[in-house]
Amino acid sequence: MTRSHTPWFLLIVALALAAVYLFPLYWMYVTSLKTGSEMFANPPTFWPRDPNPGIFAEVWGRRTMPTFLTNSVLIAGGVTAITVILGTGCAYVLARYRNVWIDIGLFCVLMLQVLPASVMVTPLFVGFNQVGMLNYPRTAVVLAAAAKAMPFFVVLVRATFMSVPRELEEAALVDGNSRIGAFFSIVLPLARNGILVCAILTFMTAFGEYIYSKSIIQSPSLQPASVGLSGFLGPNSTDWSSIMAYSAIYVTPILLAFVILQRRIVSGLTSGALK
Amino acid sequence: MTAQIELAGIDKHYGSFHALKDISLTIDKGSFVALVGPSGCGKSTLLRSIAGLESISAGRMSIAGREMTGVPPRHRDIAMVFQSYALYPHMTVEDNLTYSLRLHGVGKAEARKKAAEVAATTGLTQLLKRYPRQLSGGQRQRVAMGRAIIRNPKAFLFDEPLSNLDAALRVQMRKEIRALHDRLGATSVYVTHDQIEAMTMADWVVVMRDGVIEQQGRPLDLYDHPVNRFVAGFIGSPAMNFMAGRIAESGNAVVLDGGAGTLPLARHVEPGRAVLAGIRPEHLVMAGDDASFHLTIGVVESTGSATYLTSPDGAFQLVQSERTTLGPGDRVGLTIDPVRVHLFDPQTGMRL
Repeated sequence: MTRSHTPWFLLIVALALAAVYLFPLYWMYVTSLKTGSEMFANPPTFWPRDPNPGIFAEVWGRRTMPTFLTNSVLIAGGVTAITVILGTGCAYVLARYRNVWIDIGLFCVLMLQVLPASVMVTPLFVGFNQVGMLNYPRTAVVLAAAAKAMPFFVVLVRATFMSVPRELEEAALVDGNSRIGAFFSIVLPLARNGILVCAILTFMTAFGEYIYSKSIIQSPSLQPASVGLSGFLGPNSTDWSSIMAYSAIYVTPILLAFVILQRRIVSGLTSGALK
Repeated sequence: MTAQIELAGIDKHYGSFHALKDISLTIDKGSFVALVGPSGCGKSTLLRSIAGLESISAGRMSIAGREMTGVPPRHRDIAMVFQSYALYPHMTVEDNLTYSLRLHGVGKAEARKKAAEVAATTGLTQLLKRYPRQLSGGQRQRVAMGRAIIRNPKAFLFDEPLSNLDAALRVQMRKEIRALHDRLGATSVYVTHDQIEAMTMADWVVVMRDGVIEQQGRPLDLYDHPVNRFVAGFIGSPAMNFMAGRIAESGNAVVLDGGAGTLPLARHVEPGRAVLAGIRPEHLVMAGDDASFHLTIGVVESTGSATYLTSPDGAFQLVQSERTTLGPGDRVGLTIDPVRVHLFDPQTGMRL
């Protein structure tokens, strides 16, 4: 194969992989618009014969989606806020100081990343129960999910801080700034893109959080959309188009936000080069 | 002359590594001091200690008569130019220049006026609205300089500021920095590993090795009277030649080992003593029958203005200002003015 063919070949592979990954998304939207009989037609139809857009409004009202989505946004927002504020400080310290204790700390942070939520949920439930946090189940979920999101955020943002040259900070100190002042006026603006990307990823992960919410939040009025979706899946539920419509409403905003922000993030990452 | 920076018994440990060992140094107001030495000698650490970016383990320092030990950098009123320039990438040139003024509460209009003045003296007037990434290396260097001079600090600290520039620009900036220093009447401390920079720019050169000041003095004094073998080999380019030998019976000549020849001395030294004779390549003179010793030539390099001759093993070099027809394998007779022979103790390396 000559070199000029390689990019074309790779492009085809990339497109094929993208198609495989995006097909379920496409299928979700298409299925939500289909009628019951068309859904199981063989051969399957790739575009609904008789689209029914009214299903979205119907599911929106019937499944109290405004409540579920509000809870999802509250939980994801809370998780992101806690993670960004605490995680940024933590990542900065881990990036700027080098000694044995910092290495041990970093190792512990990475170990936390390894523990799966399903293992952590029982001890967390017992702990929250003892301190009375189960009376505030959404707050409890925010705390638990923030703890889960923190290691990933810290490790990534630490790498961002390490890419900001130390000399810039020192120049600010010599120029007359304090350590905290130098952090806010020099380091933070330069690390902003990295922090933003990690914050968005954290928000999206928390938006889909399921295990903690399902286990800790009992009242349907406080549950997020992910738990609400599982309410469909009873032993004899066959209302697939409603499930798909629900999923579409749940996923589309976050998808749109990602598509819009992605351009900005990618351009921000490349133009923010430091030298 | 009053002392602007005084260091007394400075020690610095990094864990078990002793980076600075009992450094005492007085820097006069208005002087240009170069700290020079091989990498890892502690010169940058010393500069960063003066800036307050490194804490010192022991000792005292004062700047402009004020005790500065343990004082954070922002209260020291010093300016520093970094090797990488350390320009703030997210700020325009103007904002980079005025950053320190804004921190010290200078009004916006006045800060801009000062930035314009500094830009005029450093040739940046056209570039005030640009970002650092849109500037060339030399322009960034000027911004870094401008940022230092804008607030009239007690001292300027330079940390190898020219090492990222190409050779021609480096020679030019060398002169500009020195001219700026003289115009501002500033006190400057300049760290470099390049002894040419130290020799050409500084009034006072401090040679460091392994965290110790080996010698300090005026540039030409260091060149003429190096106190030990290290300083002798470090100052001067090309480096000094060293030859082992023994003092002759008469006490006023060195008999070189291996029957290479005899070097005359201008003074009397204890006969029979083993010595290391140091000869600068530019002090050797071609001679005929009265040659002190002979050298076989390995490599001939001509630059037009000078000819560099190197022995086949690369250990011995001489510089001639005349052009030569000599080629590899030829033998030349050499002689030297006796006052220009340096003698060192082979064991301690100290000057005799």
